[in-house]
Amino acid sequence: MLAAYAQYWRINVLTLLEYRANFIMWFAFTIVYHAVALGALYVTMRQFPSMNGWTFREMFFLYALWMTGHELHNTFFFQVVSVPDFVREGRFDRFLVRPLDALFQVLIVPQQLIPDGLVLALATLGVALAVAGLHVTALLLLVLALVVCGGALIDLGISLTIATLSFWFVRVDTLRWAVMSLEQDFTRYPISIYARGVRLVLAFVLPFAFMNYFPATFLLAKQETGLGLNPAVGLLTPAIGVAWAGVAYAFWQVGLRRYQGTGS
Amino acid sequence: MPPIIETHDLRKVFRTVRRRPGALGALRTLFSREYEERVAVSRVTMAIEPGELVGYIGPNGAGKSTTIKMLTGILVPTSGDVTVAGVVPYAARGRNARNIGVVFGQRSQLYWDLPLVESFELLRAIYAIPRDRYRRNLDAFVDLLAMADFLQTPVRQLSLGQRMRGDFAAAMLHDPKIVYLDEPTIGLDVVAKEAIRTFIARINSERGTTIVLTTHDLADVERLCRRIILIDRGAIIYDGDVERIKNEYGRFRTLVVHFAQPVAQPQLEGAELVCVEGSTARLRFDRTRERAERLIRQASERYALEDVSIEEPDLESIIRRIYIEGYDSFPEEAST
Repeated sequence: MLAAYAQYWRINVLTLLEYRANFIMWFAFTIVYHAVALGALYVTMRQFPSMNGWTFREMFFLYALWMTGHELHNTFFFQVVSVPDFVREGRFDRFLVRPLDALFQVLIVPQQLIPDGLVLALATLGVALAVAGLHVTALLLLVLALVVCGGALIDLGISLTIATLSFWFVRVDTLRWAVMSLEQDFTRYPISIYARGVRLVLAFVLPFAFMNYFPATFLLAKQETGLGLNPAVGLLTPAIGVAWAGVAYAFWQVGLRRYQGTGS
Repeated sequence: MPPIIETHDLRKVFRTVRRRPGALGALRTLFSREYEERVAVSRVTMAIEPGELVGYIGPNGAGKSTTIKMLTGILVPTSGDVTVAGVVPYAARGRNARNIGVVFGQRSQLYWDLPLVESFELLRAIYAIPRDRYRRNLDAFVDLLAMADFLQTPVRQLSLGQRMRGDFAAAMLHDPKIVYLDEPTIGLDVVAKEAIRTFIARINSERGTTIVLTTHDLADVERLCRRIILIDRGAIIYDGDVERIKNEYGRFRTLVVHFAQPVAQPQLEGAELVCVEGSTARLRFDRTRERAERLIRQASERYALEDVSIEEPDLESIIRRIYIEGYDSFPEEAST
């Protein structure tokens, strides 16, 4: 299993070298994408010096925290989004006649990927720490690492749940796009600016708030969580991530059993 | 030795939500609990011995793929038993996977953007094949399938024939005891087909690999298999020698006569005129009632002949008749 994983990364790097132009364009796109998002945030915040008590510097940190978890997910779990394609094209059968776990095999389908987005995100997070004026200690780094991993698992839980739905429904693209754009929009600002219903959804239904808002509230020593919760809930992110991904994996197993029952 | 593949009363029923027509119907379908049941396979009982090369054939929708999917562990049967190399495939997918190799002719398992050899490397890691065994198998397959020239070529640039050879090697690198071949020659030209058939025959005879071949090309079966299992509408209708089905159900031969001069309506007693084309006529006769030698003598007495030949029915025409007329409609034998 480990050998297969190593082989997968070796192949990723190899194909990347072969398709260098594609990689450079993709990397440029990633930079521009995040730069535009941060630029928009900057422009907005020039109009309002603070948003519900959050400054641009703090919101930069908020963004960087989400970005790092998200890119960590993209680096290791990106192929989950291909499951609906595999199912629709009949390629999923192949994973069931090989000796490794089907989901693991999905994750190691070569895809010309290196952790460029993750490297970029870590750099951004480093800058954001300085901008937000956080005092860097070993403990802070440990908390950050756990929060980022938890954030990636929250993302995984969501992408895996949507992928699993493709065992029942042929097309899930629309749902995926809807959830992705929700994630991008609602992780950019403190959730306290939204209506209470939205806040509840972001905390307990699609727990994006645990990817950045709650941990940032805690780390930046803010008092207001938007839901009257103790800011220390931000430390629950890893647990939420594990639970969320765990539930999604259980759901995946149910979907897999259905697939083995119907073959469609 | 016990059979390597054994099924008993294997049955698969698909349950699908009943669809209603129209937009409102589609909405109701979404919440409907009404199901339609479709029996894809029923009462499939078979036993295949180690080292056999069996053709599993039937028309589209007969249940071939469903059976293969149950044998490979992709599908869970609705009822009945299946054991493959001592393992229940759907219950122990991982263990079963090590015993089997699968080639889906229409769905490659090779990685499109990678040089062919990289797909093999990834499979080596997935199956945890020891390096020396991998090396030995790869060398053997490169040699047998003449793959040396395109081992480093990205798969998307390969011709269909080359890709198929790659897929064969990919399915067998881990020394499977059983190989399922699903339409392995589909879309190939005659040369490529022959190369693949030769390879299948060699793998079977030299390595003793048990092979189950599903195909629409009955020339594959004729060339490779001694035994066929015929499935129609979800049930096995024949299981036995290819030769036997040909002898018993292919009573008719065709006498092809080339005349020196065109003959409009050539007549021979004991034979039935099929068609006339220029100076060539085709006549059908029942070999259990008429001897070819007598017909030829008759023809040469009546007409000036240039050449005479006899065509045996190929498997394809026999199977076609069985598909259309049903197995039971044949006169000699009602069932097996």
